[in-house]
Amino acid sequence: MITAAPLDTTIAVVTPENIAFEYQLAGPFRRIPAYAIDVLVRCGLIVGFAVILMMLGLGSQMLIPGSFLFAALLVGYFLISWFYGTLLETYFNGRTIGKWALGLRVIGVDGRPLDGTRAVIRNLLRIADFAPMAALSQLNADLPPVFLIPTGMVGLVCMICTRRMQRLGDLAAGTMVVVDERSWQLPVTHIDDPRAAALASFVPADYRVSRTLARTLATYVERRAYLTPPRRREVSRVLAEPLLQRFGFRPDVDPDLLMMAMYHATFLSDSRPTGLPSARVSGPSPLLRDLAVPPAAGLPAPVGGLPTAMGSPAGLAGTLATAPDSIAVNTEGTP
Amino acid sequence: MNIASLLEDRRQQWVELEVLCDQLEVRGRAARGEASSILRFAALYRSACADLALADSYRLPPATVTYLHRLVARAHNNLYRADRLDPTSWIETIFVAAPRQIFADPCVRVATLLFFGLFALSMVLGFQEAAFPDFAESVLGKEQIESVSEMYDRPLVGSLDHYVTMAGFYIRHNTGIGLQCFAFGVLLIPCLFTLAFNAVSLGTVFGYMSRPDTAGADNFLHFVTAHGPFELTAIALAGGAGLRLGVGLFATGGLSRIDSLFRSAQLAVPIMVASAMLFFLAALTEGFVSPSPLPYTIKALWAILSSGLISFYFVVLGFPRDFVRHGTVLAEPEWYDPLAEDEPQTEAGGAA
Repeated sequence: MITAAPLDTTIAVVTPENIAFEYQLAGPFRRIPAYAIDVLVRCGLIVGFAVILMMLGLGSQMLIPGSFLFAALLVGYFLISWFYGTLLETYFNGRTIGKWALGLRVIGVDGRPLDGTRAVIRNLLRIADFAPMAALSQLNADLPPVFLIPTGMVGLVCMICTRRMQRLGDLAAGTMVVVDERSWQLPVTHIDDPRAAALASFVPADYRVSRTLARTLATYVERRAYLTPPRRREVSRVLAEPLLQRFGFRPDVDPDLLMMAMYHATFLSDSRPTGLPSARVSGPSPLLRDLAVPPAAGLPAPVGGLPTAMGSPAGLAGTLATAPDSIAVNTEGTP
Repeated sequence: MNIASLLEDRRQQWVELEVLCDQLEVRGRAARGEASSILRFAALYRSACADLALADSYRLPPATVTYLHRLVARAHNNLYRADRLDPTSWIETIFVAAPRQIFADPCVRVATLLFFGLFALSMVLGFQEAAFPDFAESVLGKEQIESVSEMYDRPLVGSLDHYVTMAGFYIRHNTGIGLQCFAFGVLLIPCLFTLAFNAVSLGTVFGYMSRPDTAGADNFLHFVTAHGPFELTAIALAGGAGLRLGVGLFATGGLSRIDSLFRSAQLAVPIMVASAMLFFLAALTEGFVSPSPLPYTIKALWAILSSGLISFYFVVLGFPRDFVRHGTVLAEPEWYDPLAEDEPQTEAGGAA
């Protein structure tokens, strides 16, 4: 059996608890803004350090010679510019300020947190990832060759080519950058339509909902709040029509309602629906065999069996429109 | 039991886990709260893991499974945290891992040979004015030669202010070059270029300034003697560490290229740490000792002492001692030999 690999940029990690869970990988266009923020923070830190040293020099009435302060500034500049990322990532569990702002985190490829050596490697190799340098004088011979612009092509190509979207520094350090979102909503699905439960009681007891169908139903019901009623019918008809045929339901049963009934039967009811009349909520039966007794005036009784009735979507729409009190009609407004 | 009530049952625990995650993230590891909440956190994490493992058989909705993946990932990140840089492990790295790796690593030898070979070659070429009259100028350029010559024409007098500032400058500038050389090692060519460029230009300056007729030759010798051993060794080591990194991409030793790169990076880091340490010592020497008007004898003694320290570090600390464990030499055990005769193995061992 061929299983299609997911197109999502997720990566599975097996924890010591022997659980495989998925991380979402962070691509270059999420990491570049984080790096830009880090560059700004780094500049701010250096400027702040310089200001502090200046205040110290002025405050101490030149007790500390200016040269010491200047040397301290040079050393501080060196440390901040080379070891900013290393220090923050080891102390803040794989995050720098820019990564924190954009919800990113560095972890090892095996899912374990990174250690000092890995942080050193991946942060030192960043300048190799920014290679090759482009000089302004390449564009225009008149410009002075002083402004070197890192193009970052090495890192970008490397990220494109690797499965975990790692740059060279990540490859050498054995790390990857994942999205570490802070809050999500647990999706809540309520079915407050009582007709769904009623219709669910008519679903044959021997029908077993398959795993994929259950998944599809759950996805549909979570999504349907964002769709208009006509769109719901359009989407759900694909799945509902064979089911209607199989259960022997009337063709004018709203496909959206059938999906909700299936969802109810799969996820919400305590046991499989019995199909016994006593379990039913009072109301018109959706079954095709009960339709032989004309329940209401104005309903065109589908003659000639299911295939013809199922075959024409236009007829279905017509019946829906002309059956105001039938179970099949969705009277809900657009949420 | 239906799935909705099962979800409702579990949801309370998940929300509790989320709250604990929030607390851990906000307060960080410094103030972890009382022990009971940590125990609770671990228990909730394990139960969320179990929920995720059983998600398929519970037939949980896909969105809930996604939620669980993220919840478990988040709790995992809070449970397993990054190791801090441990100063005690630095000592181990500097005094145990680094010298052994340097001693054993062929990349370091190649880089050292390349650096000092080119250095000596260009020093000779720069010195032999008669044989190669244009070499120094074509390598360094006329202006730079003049500025170097002029710089060392001035006598070496310095104040403490000057020393401290220069030490700071050298730490920033030279160590930066070394780190850059290491980082570009993963691309191999830039690392070799940086190494060769430094070797040739430094060697040419040395050769040119050693000419008897150059202005400021005495001062130059005065200046460079003290910090030369540290600094030149540090550059060579940085190049060797970079080379180790880049060679890992080619000489994979049977591993995949990515695994090989990962392994060689782990091996290269101790070398780079040693190199950075030497850069730091060189910068201190260059800042405080070299520009001072101390007599040349003391500077030469310092150079000899530092060379001796480096040799001790590389050879004595770095000599491979895998066969020595806990102070005892592991003897080869006597393996069973089916062809051995019953006679005592005095002659047979030597023959085999």
